[in-house]
Amino acid sequence: MSLANRMALASPNVNARTIEASEFPDLSRRFGVQGVPRTVVNEQGAFVGALPEAQFVAAVLELAGVSGGGEEEEEDATQA
Amino acid sequence: MAILSDQVKRQLQDRFAEHLSGPVQLTLYTRPGSGRLILPSGLGCATCDDARQLVEELQEAAPDLVHLRVVDVSAEDSDVTEVPTLTVAFPGEEPRIRWQGLPAGYEFATVVDAVERVSSGAHGLADASLDALARLTEPVDVMVFATPT
Repeated sequence: MSLANRMALASPNVNARTIEASEFPDLSRRFGVQGVPRTVVNEQGAFVGALPEAQFVAAVLELAGVSGGGEEEEEDATQA
Repeated sequence: MAILSDQVKRQLQDRFAEHLSGPVQLTLYTRPGSGRLILPSGLGCATCDDARQLVEELQEAAPDLVHLRVVDVSAEDSDVTEVPTLTVAFPGEEPRIRWQGLPAGYEFATVVDAVERVSSGAHGLADASLDALARLTEPVDVMVFATPT
């Protein structure tokens, strides 16, 4: 199970959605999917690639605006 | 025609017999009858029939513990509009784990793992991750875009 799903299982505050990118091209375009896995948090920030658990959790929390979430580089989730 | 081979079905039955300890609720949101017709966006669902068959075969591997509800979004009121969507949850709880699109290939393995982990409640995260998650005070939506490889 993906880390996002495991986080949702562990925390009632996490909702995880895995999206098959090619079946939902409008969503993929909206969130700038050019490579997978692309993780988008609260439809705002995003990062690309499979990260180890500690970095993944830190990146999600950072993008969610939780202090001390981590130092992962982030980018705007949506494409102009 | 079945999607899963007899060998894979037996493997699933064996895995679920070993790893499932409690009930799991699957809900598949679908728009039936679309088949493989190519329709304008929002009207068709080229993978709904396959998704339904795949999830039914998954449920049949442990029918006593894995429960399946199929929701036709064209006939029932539903907050879910994108189809196919599959949710996995403890019975009676609001689903927090979902797949949008046909969960084939690698994603099928993640669905199987999710069924097992939800059944047992074994998220498998490290204590440091749980400490970090405990700082969340507001809902967080995590979307992971993937491909069926």
